[in-house]
Amino acid sequence: MVRVESLEKTYPGRRGAPPVKAVDRVSFQVPQGQLVGLLGPNGAGKTTIVKMMCGLIRPDAGQIFINGKDMVCRRTEALVDVSAVLEGNRNIYWRLTCRENLEFFAALKGRSPREIQPEIARYLDLFKLNDKADTEARKLSRGMQQKLATAVALIAQSRVVLLDEPTLGLDVQASLEIRELLKRIVQDEGRTVILTSHDMNVVQDTCERVIIINEGRIVADDSIDHLLDLFQVKVCRIVIGESLTPAQQQAIQALPQVLLEEENNGKIALTVPLEDAQVLHELFGILAANSTVICAIEQKQTSFERVFLEILGRSEHGA
Amino acid sequence: MRKKLILFWAFLKRQYVYFRRYLFNSLGGMLTLYVVFLLILGGYKGLVAPAGTEGDTLEALVVGYVLWFFLMTSYQDVYNTVRNESLTGTLEQLYMSTHGFGWVMGANVAAAFLANLVMVALLLTAALWTSGAVVNIDVGGLLPVLVGTLFGPVAIGFAAAGLALVFKRIDSYTQMVQFVLIALVAVPAEKAFWLRLLPGSFGASLVRDIMIRGQSLLEIGLAKLVLLFLIGIGHLALGYGVYKVCEKRAMVWGMLGHY
Repeated sequence: MVRVESLEKTYPGRRGAPPVKAVDRVSFQVPQGQLVGLLGPNGAGKTTIVKMMCGLIRPDAGQIFINGKDMVCRRTEALVDVSAVLEGNRNIYWRLTCRENLEFFAALKGRSPREIQPEIARYLDLFKLNDKADTEARKLSRGMQQKLATAVALIAQSRVVLLDEPTLGLDVQASLEIRELLKRIVQDEGRTVILTSHDMNVVQDTCERVIIINEGRIVADDSIDHLLDLFQVKVCRIVIGESLTPAQQQAIQALPQVLLEEENNGKIALTVPLEDAQVLHELFGILAANSTVICAIEQKQTSFERVFLEILGRSEHGA
Repeated sequence: MRKKLILFWAFLKRQYVYFRRYLFNSLGGMLTLYVVFLLILGGYKGLVAPAGTEGDTLEALVVGYVLWFFLMTSYQDVYNTVRNESLTGTLEQLYMSTHGFGWVMGANVAAAFLANLVMVALLLTAALWTSGAVVNIDVGGLLPVLVGTLFGPVAIGFAAAGLALVFKRIDSYTQMVQFVLIALVAVPAEKAFWLRLLPGSFGASLVRDIMIRGQSLLEIGLAKLVLLFLIGIGHLALGYGVYKVCEKRAMVWGMLGHY
């Protein structure tokens, strides 16, 4: 369980620059076995929050508890339960092999490399690094290095794993592999994973819950499904395959809720809000009067990207 | 204690892996130091020996050079570790060790000390063989004195590493340390008490007592050995203190792992 309470951080201004409020009264809790995404634009404060959770940045105010241990006052004890990938593929030693990296970082967390050989073999297998076990990390692809960095964070057997932009700079396939691995780790091992990203797809695909941060403040903290529901614009799109008569066009234009668009393929799309049933009935009446052929009726989905931008927009407007 | 041994062993293994994997480069470093020694020796033979002031100065030259190498590598083991790990992005991982960063660096220094001893032995053998100098190699006596001497350069390493955490690119200043270390090795610490307080100087003086003047640890006496360790621990406390102040500043500014 991770508990963050009223966390604040202001970076002092340097060389005459004004101070920067990076984190502003941030509080949240993450129960064991949950995969949570910290989402926000660049400079929102995500990395600062994660680094404070690792004890690498000193907060101005607030508390961080990792499985009940205070990260600010009892850092070394709290670190037993935390591991992190903060700099992506730079978090490993490039001149050591995959196996040597896993052994070294296990020792850093107090685990004897000799005793955990079966675990090392299991992670090499899980991350499909078996045939690269004795290859120096510098000779691996970026995706493989990223996988190794994640495996290194897991070998510590800490209950909480923090990942800062785990798929940054990866190609589509490597990104998908990392996402699948993260889901498996949470499912199979019951670990708590908190990842930061500014990539909506990564968060939507991987996390069950998202904490959206903007200008150092939490502006939303909810499940992705619920956020999508909240911002769902219930709109119906009717596609017709033939031209409308002038009378039909005139009648439709008299309905202000209906948006009429001519598509490139010659078809006509009519967009109408579902919540206004009367308008929908009238529209179908107009189309039925001339026996107009309807090609498709579909419900438009709101993308998570739009939800995110909507939340950011509201938070900035509110501020 | 077992966990600390695991940590020490991990650093020692890493030292060995790097040395073996980059053997050509490692040997190149040794060769460079040997060539520098040959140049110094050539200068010595050309200037000092003809003047008839040779005495035990040839032995002093060999011992001084090897001592300087030992002090410099000890300093670099701390400063370069923090600087390079910060540069490559792994410093924050070292900070996340459950042992605490102090123990991590302690294990690193101890592992590097052993590796340095091997290098010092090789360099000393080569230097003695080339120069024809004869020195007293009393391993039992030298080992505790070398450990006590280690604290000074390690303390300087911590202080410099701390400053690098805060001010980042300070290499042009820290490069001067290697010249400062030459002066510290050469200081005649036996002549005035305050000279013994300089980092590494008293230890260097005792090493000369053993290797050049042929003294045993018993002849040096427990009092001097205790004083060596007390001065060393004082230096270490001071250097590590500077490091902790800088580390706190870097943590407040959020730039611990940046370079």
